[in-house]
This record gives sequence, structure tokens and C-alpha cells, in this order.
Amino acid sequence: MSTALNVRKIHEYLFEIPPHGKMRVPARLYLDERSLRELLENQSSEEWNAIRQLENVACLPGIVKAALAMADVHPGYGFPIGGVAAFDPKAGGVISVAGVGFDINCGVRCLRTHLTRSDLAGKEEKLADTMYEVIPAGLGSTGELKLSAKEIDRVLREGARYAVHLGYGREEDLEYIEEHGQLSDADPSVVSHTAKQRQMAQVGTLGSGNHYVEVQVVDQIYNARAAEAFGLELGQIVIMLHTGSRALGHQIGTDYLPFLEKATRKYGIEVPDRELVCAPIESPEGQQYFRAVMAGANCAFANRQVLTHLVRQAFWKALRVAETAIETLYEVAHNTVKWEVHEVDGERRRLLVHRKGSTRAFGPGRPELPERYRAVGQPVLVGGTMGTASYILVGTDQGMRETFGTALHGAGRAKSRRQAKRQYPAERIVEQLRKQGIIVRAHGKASISEEAPGAYKDVEHVVDVMCNAGIVARVARLRPIICLKG
Amino acid sequence: MPYVYLDHEADIGLEATGERLEEALRDGVQGLLALLVDPETVEPREAVPVQASGDDPGALYVALLNAVLAAVDLHGMFFRDFELTRLDRVDDHWVAEGTLYGEPIDLERHAVEIEVKAATYGGLLAEQTDTGWRLRCVLDL
Repeated sequence: MSTALNVRKIHEYLFEIPPHGKMRVPARLYLDERSLRELLENQSSEEWNAIRQLENVACLPGIVKAALAMADVHPGYGFPIGGVAAFDPKAGGVISVAGVGFDINCGVRCLRTHLTRSDLAGKEEKLADTMYEVIPAGLGSTGELKLSAKEIDRVLREGARYAVHLGYGREEDLEYIEEHGQLSDADPSVVSHTAKQRQMAQVGTLGSGNHYVEVQVVDQIYNARAAEAFGLELGQIVIMLHTGSRALGHQIGTDYLPFLEKATRKYGIEVPDRELVCAPIESPEGQQYFRAVMAGANCAFANRQVLTHLVRQAFWKALRVAETAIETLYEVAHNTVKWEVHEVDGERRRLLVHRKGSTRAFGPGRPELPERYRAVGQPVLVGGTMGTASYILVGTDQGMRETFGTALHGAGRAKSRRQAKRQYPAERIVEQLRKQGIIVRAHGKASISEEAPGAYKDVEHVVDVMCNAGIVARVARLRPIICLKG
Repeated sequence: MPYVYLDHEADIGLEATGERLEEALRDGVQGLLALLVDPETVEPREAVPVQASGDDPGALYVALLNAVLAAVDLHGMFFRDFELTRLDRVDDHWVAEGTLYGEPIDLERHAVEIEVKAATYGGLLAEQTDTGWRLRCVLDL
């Protein structure tokens, strides 16, 4: 690939592709030599290539500073996954469907419990079976909550707060969700009837693919001060859940793709990839898509809130653990577009930040953070795989300066789903994980083989790169015990 | 093969070919249905109409695949077969209509594979070749 020749090493953990062709800014990748080599060697197709996708993002109008890729970068559609791009409305900045993705506001919530590993001993199978029974997952599953059209509009306007209002979870949960689980610019009237109808039976469902609920144990603490602020201790049981806005978000993306394509033509924006269709942020079309995305994001917030309630129910049913013993540690989103104020070249600017498969990772002192965490920084939740560790990291000042306060979101895929399916038969993976003391329950076989640990990059290495680059810092490592998949 | 799946790290590519555009569109839909659930486990007991439109054959392909995904949720059904009943070009706008055949979702009986979130413009291709039409896009999984 010709662009590989133009990669310039800035330091051990950061590479840059200087602007060429129609690129307005450089493309920067948080990788080391090994991960750059792997990225270049393992591209499954020249057609969808993560580096080219990042270069394409760098061509979009109004992009500020650089198109950035985190260490878990891999090909997506339009944007690479692990990508970050900030746009300035004053410089003709745009809003893009591909910068958000179809699973709007997909994200991860971490729940900390009052339980330790020994409290769970001998009861793992029972808990796994109960989770499987209580939490709807997989294609075709429906939630217990069936909403009317009016109620769907409230979900879209009020997000997680509405779920709490309906009795799912507690008021305290909201404090520890990005934006407190409710984005005020949401406008249900710009979301199609089809989108709302598709969602009526899907609130409180997990989905499939890489979505999961995992019971984990804290097996390493790296930063005592941050761990204390986050309420984490060695041997403690925590739960991670990963899901998004379900069919409603998917339909918003579907509806707005041709809509923004018309806007792209109308405003004479040249895009290097058709999936990168976009509209100026301040245009009526850009504003309308933004309000629809905010509604989709609220749906994801509500969905994770309902699932939190279901996790609590499963723990109560299986182990008689009180709901109050399971608290929201934090919830991060990783397919989003948000207004944020960042300092660029000594100037504070209001920018529209797109994060596609990357996590907001704000450093200490930001007003957006809950008071309890403000002095140490934002918890950054990094999901590993069924068989490897997950991490809780914390945002840094350096991340604020370099990446618009953004870090990685997971291990990042290394092998295609088809490759993984051929290489990792589901039965074999379940047996291997069982030997490692990890119980897996899945509704579809594909979810196991396609999501096998071997299909992903080495999470330890990916986290190492981001921490060594100074963008985030380690707080705790979590080891999986039970994994529920769609 | 009338349709093939293409390797993609996170998602999957779906390419359909046919002598005529109608055939390529139909086979693309068949390829999508087979990703969701093993079609052999689904009985074609009920018919559901779908329609889609786009400014060009590529946009039409993506819109049709997305209409099929919406039909699964809207009707709570899985489908085994698809028949394309209309393909028209009206003032530079392409319209397709067809019928899906399947039955209400029964998780006891239907061998579910994976959820497809959406068909995207990623890797989108709609071209006429020596032997007919080739359609391709990336599906978000």
C-alpha cells in the first residue's frame, strides 16, 4: 500500500501520515511498531482498509488538528473503528453518519458490587443460567417492556431518566452516566415512524455480535487513589454490559444516509468514500440529523438502564443479592457525536467531536465528570474478550491535549468474522473457556466463534500502547467469570 | 454462487451478481436472509411485502437490504425466500418491490445466526460487467 511509505514516526507510540492528496489535516495513529505492522499486514481487503479510511476522514471539511486512530483501530465503514475526529462549525465543519455509526451511542456500563469472588464460589452456574433466562439477548429476542408510541417518544426525549421513572434502576445510576443518560437536543419528531415501531419490543434487549453482559473479578489494582475514588478493590465482583440503541438507532442511520447524501450534493461537499456523506453542522440538514442522533442516543441510555435493572434482578433471583448492593460505577459511550469545548493551539473552541468505536476519556477537573471522580479523571471502560481481561483506565491531561480527551474502546478486531468462524468452532471455544474457569452462555453459535478471543488483538498490548502514550492510565484489571452473549 | 460474503474485520461484505439487476438484487436479499438465520429452519408460510427506492442501483441495493432488516423487526418474522416483483426507473429514481416469505419468530425452532444492524454505503459498488450486474456493500454487524 502506497500510503504505508508515508508513515512518519512521531514517538514510540504515535505515527503520523502527513496530509497528501485532499487531506486537510494529518492522520495520526496511536500504535507501536508491532501494532502498525500487524495493521498493515492483516488488512482483509484493500477496499476497506483502516488507514485509508482514516486518511479519508482527514479530507472532510472543518476537521480540526488531525484524524485520530486509537490503538484498537480496525476497518469500519466510512470511518475506521477506533477513530476520532473533531469539527469546527466556524470552519465549515460537518456532521457525518459514518462518524457515529448505525449503533448510535453503543456503549459500556460497569456496575460494581458489594460481592467478592468468594461470595460467588460454587454459584457461578446458577447465576449464569439465571442471567440467560432474565436478560433477553440474540436476534429475535424481545424485551418485557412493550412501549406505546407516546412512551417511545419519552424514551427518545428523556433517555435513562425515563427508564428510572418507569421503575428500572435508581436515580443514583443517572449521576454516573455520560450526560446523566439524557441528551437535551433530542427531537423525536425527526425520527421516523419505522424507527420507533422497530424499537417497540426491543427496549431492554442486549442484541448480538459483540454485545455482552459479563461478570468479572478485579484481579489487579494499579492506581490506588483512582481505584478508591471508583470504589474498586482487589477480589471485588463487577459487571460490564455492552449494548447500544438497538433497531431504533439502526433505522435512524438507515434513514439519514440518503438524506445526508442529498445534503452532501446540495452543499457541494466532495467525499472520498460514499459512506462519508455529511452535512455542514449548522445547515438545516446537519441540525436535523444531530437531533435525530441525540434521540437515538437517549434510546441507548434507556436500554442500558433497563438492562442494569435486569442484571440486578438476575443477581437477586440467583443469589438473593439486594439491588442496592449493585451500583453504577460509570457508563461510557463509544459511537457518538457531541459538542465539547477543547483547547486547540491555546484557544478554547467549541467542537463537534465524532467518536466511532472510541471512548471519551476526560482528564481530571472536567465539569462533565461526577463530583466523586472529578479529581482523578473519568473512568474509561475497555472491554476485552470472553477469554481475556477487561480494563478500567482513567483519562489524563495529556489525552485532553492530544486526542480531544479520547481513548480506545476495546481490544479491537484482528480477524474477520468469517475467518474466526472457520477457525474457532463454538463448542471448542466454550470448552477452552470452561477450562480457564469462564462460563459462557450464548443464544447464537455465531456469537461465540465470531467473537472468540483469538479474533481480537491482544488487549494487554493495545492497553499498553495507549497508557505508554500517556493518553490514559491503568486503574484496574478485570478477569471474566461469566459471559452472556446474544 | 449468486452471492458471496467478503472478509471484513468487524463487519461483512455482501456481494451479489446476476445477469440482470433484478437477479442481483434478489440474490443479495437471499444472502442477507441466510446471514440472520439458517433458512432451512424457516417455513415460507406467510408473505410480507417490502419496497425500497434509491437514486441509483447502489443506493437501491442498500435501501432494499435495510427494508428487509426492518421487516424482521416490524413483523416479528424470519424469512426464507424473497421474490422481486417490480423494478422500475422513474425520473432517475429507482424503485424495487418484492415479497418476503417466512413465519413468526420461534426461537425454539429457528437456528439464529447473527443480528445485522444495517446495510451501509461502505464499499458500495453497483456495476455492469460483461456478464451482468455486480452489487456489493458492507453490512454492519
